[in-house]
Amino acid sequence: MNDTSIVLEARALSVRGPRGVIVEPVDVRVHAGQTLAVVGESGSGKSLTARALTGLLDPALEATGVVRWGEREFDLSSNVPWPSLRGSAISLLLQDPFTSLSPVHRCGVQIADTVRAVAKRTGRRLSSREVQSIVTDRLREVGLDASVAGRYPHELSGGMRQRVAIAAAIAGDPDVLIADEPTTALDASTQGEVLEVLAALQRERGLGIVLISHDLGVVRGCADDIVVLYAGAVAERGPARVVLDAPVHPYTARLLAAEPPLDHRLERLEGIPGSVPSPGQRPEGCAFAPRCALATELCRTDVPQLSAVSRGGVVACHHSSTPLVSEERDRAGTARTVSFDDALLQVRGLRAHHGATEILHGVDLAVGPGEIVGVVGESGSGKTTLARCVAGLHVPSDGELTLGGVALPRRLGDRDPRDVQMVFQDPYSALNPRLTVGEALREALAVSGRPASDAAALLESVGLPSKYVGRRPRDLSGGERQRVAIARALAPRPRLLICDESVSALDVSVQAQILALLLRLRDELGTPVLFITHDLAVVRQVCDRVVVLRQGAVVETGPVEQVFDEPQHPYSASLLAASEPSLELKGSRA
Amino acid sequence: MTAPSTTVIALRPAPRAGRGGLPGLILTGGVLAAALLLAVLGPVLAPDALEQDILLGVTPPGTPGHPWGTDELGRDVLQLLIAGSGSALAGPVVIALGSMLLGVLLGTITGYVQGWLDFTIGRITDLLLALPVVVVAIVVAGVFGSGYWVTVAMLVVLFAPSDIRLVRSAVIEQSARPYIESARMLRLSPWRIMFRHIVPNVTPIIVTNALVNFAIAIVALSSLSFLGVGVSPGSADWGRQLDDGRALLLSNPAASIAPAIAIVVVACAANLLGDVIAARAERKGSAE
Repeated sequence: MNDTSIVLEARALSVRGPRGVIVEPVDVRVHAGQTLAVVGESGSGKSLTARALTGLLDPALEATGVVRWGEREFDLSSNVPWPSLRGSAISLLLQDPFTSLSPVHRCGVQIADTVRAVAKRTGRRLSSREVQSIVTDRLREVGLDASVAGRYPHELSGGMRQRVAIAAAIAGDPDVLIADEPTTALDASTQGEVLEVLAALQRERGLGIVLISHDLGVVRGCADDIVVLYAGAVAERGPARVVLDAPVHPYTARLLAAEPPLDHRLERLEGIPGSVPSPGQRPEGCAFAPRCALATELCRTDVPQLSAVSRGGVVACHHSSTPLVSEERDRAGTARTVSFDDALLQVRGLRAHHGATEILHGVDLAVGPGEIVGVVGESGSGKTTLARCVAGLHVPSDGELTLGGVALPRRLGDRDPRDVQMVFQDPYSALNPRLTVGEALREALAVSGRPASDAAALLESVGLPSKYVGRRPRDLSGGERQRVAIARALAPRPRLLICDESVSALDVSVQAQILALLLRLRDELGTPVLFITHDLAVVRQVCDRVVVLRQGAVVETGPVEQVFDEPQHPYSASLLAASEPSLELKGSRA
Repeated sequence: MTAPSTTVIALRPAPRAGRGGLPGLILTGGVLAAALLLAVLGPVLAPDALEQDILLGVTPPGTPGHPWGTDELGRDVLQLLIAGSGSALAGPVVIALGSMLLGVLLGTITGYVQGWLDFTIGRITDLLLALPVVVVAIVVAGVFGSGYWVTVAMLVVLFAPSDIRLVRSAVIEQSARPYIESARMLRLSPWRIMFRHIVPNVTPIIVTNALVNFAIAIVALSSLSFLGVGVSPGSADWGRQLDDGRALLLSNPAASIAPAIAIVVVACAANLLGDVIAARAERKGSAE
């Protein structure tokens, strides 16, 4: 690879905050027509790196280092002429297409704005007809019809919105596109489409892409090179096939191992214990040492420097010469069979409306004692409405709900808190920020007359130290908050637990921890779980049976092995196909 | 040209420096505390504020014994200003706290419970919001007499509707959050959910709004005194003093400018303190 093909290069890019260095100096190099993936958990500094490259850091943060676009080189600590670079040299694609487009402007206008802004800076004058034809071209490039230009974002699906956002991002013909988690907010089937659009643009335009992602499945199919960040520093860097197939840094290896497979169930889910230390609390020595199985005294005192390893990679680890024992992850046998003579929860002919629209058209569902039943479907399939009807948070318009043979009242006001409890998706809004963990748990314990002293035991049962009773939610990480939310839901000893996308907002390493926790709690307490998720790989790991929901109706139901290995309904098959991780690497596809 | 609406270009970091800092808090809080202290100590510091000296009449600032001069009736402007701080500030404090109390109580209940109660109270607040304050004040003064506390009570009622609306919308926003839904699934009592879970989380908005109301009330009450509704003629009050001193603008400018500046300074301090508290709450919220 010669140097002229480099479209973006950053040397010693570093981000400082008021409390010290957040991102340690990192080198970034993107070649034309290639993708550099920046991978890491929340708190690794990957998004800050992306923002530093586009000059969009919070004013309280300061970036240093040297950035070069083609022939133009700038020192980040001096005044970089960002307005003349954004849109034409570099462009940013954000995660959430639902908020990154202006809701009050037609899509065409939003793309045209960028076209005009870039043209104005280069001194070109475009007639409105020329602008219009560029907008149409861009929409065509992302696989959308020209008529989309006249529509508002709310008239489009999530996938189409993200395509419009891509069209706007490339409207000024940038050399580099920074895509910050571009598919995270999308369904599995739409994710594939959006990635395909990005790949096609890259082929046709020679676009350099910096892909920021926590999802190794996404990275595997797209990346040429990978940078793995941990606690604001590079842990490992190298060609995608080296990093993904033969990781040298223990962190990379554990991150890969935490990714749940779709095609088989693991004996044991491997999370990474602990969480990423925040900038002020990074340990001396290797930042990963407290979570690393290989850590020695040297790791705890000396910061490992990046050093070259075989096949073009560089790694910051004292043990880079020690080959990692690649643990063959055990496949579990078939999931335990659950006696299913009398289902605990029975849902018959459930109908529900949002306003005048019928969301659920007569759903039947059963959850047996001690069983974990997954409900899967795309967004809009009604799976969350189903969960909320069972929880009592949404009043169904018709149908029967019974729990243990007794009718479950439709309205929450008539229910017993010991019947059904729920764990929500977003760990950040699931806990009252003003209450300590102990206060929240004691309140939930009091509901079923359990003594307040049970709070400590409850915390320990979800894997948190009992001293956490005095902490407030803001002192906890996302995974810890979700553990508290689970403890609170279990406090009244409910007969059924609902998990509504309870792990989808978590990092993969934390997700594995929480899934393992749910499995353990089910085994210990025998509490059955209704598990709502869009992530089929997660269902494969924890569920006994699965219900496939499509547009408010059940299309298939059965044991997980059966549905996943031999789907009967074409929709189940297509969902599974869309979730299939691209096992091939980018290079091998061509 | 309209601003480019794609985030690629339009996203510029908003300058936030200087807002919500400790100096701002100390400065605005200090001004307010000093004003309130003055109001409490007024009777001690200026016992003879209302003492007239008709023979002396109006004198300019710098007159021996009267550093800020005197008004038409020979009353000392500085003493009058100190004594007038009591009625200028006591009413606004009552108005801000009273409407806050009504706002929190009714806003929280209507926002959380909704239904017919929300509808009924909603229409009453609509009605009150549609009334012109000054016209109502004059009518109320005509019916109940023009006492100071009658006016204050009327302003509490007129200020409450916007407080109720504000609290209601903040409560509705919180009610949809998972932590409230969890509390509902635990079947905690509605009172507990409302006043232990929701209200503490909307407190920054309530406090900020009360301070803004305090500032508006100072001006409103002074305006009403200026119009002759509110404090009785002859008593010490900033709005009254402003009105009385208006005619003396050439002979003793201090007679009207001093109370005007006092009103502006206190109202601005209350407003800015509200801003500082809002900014601090916002910053704390983002840290959570």
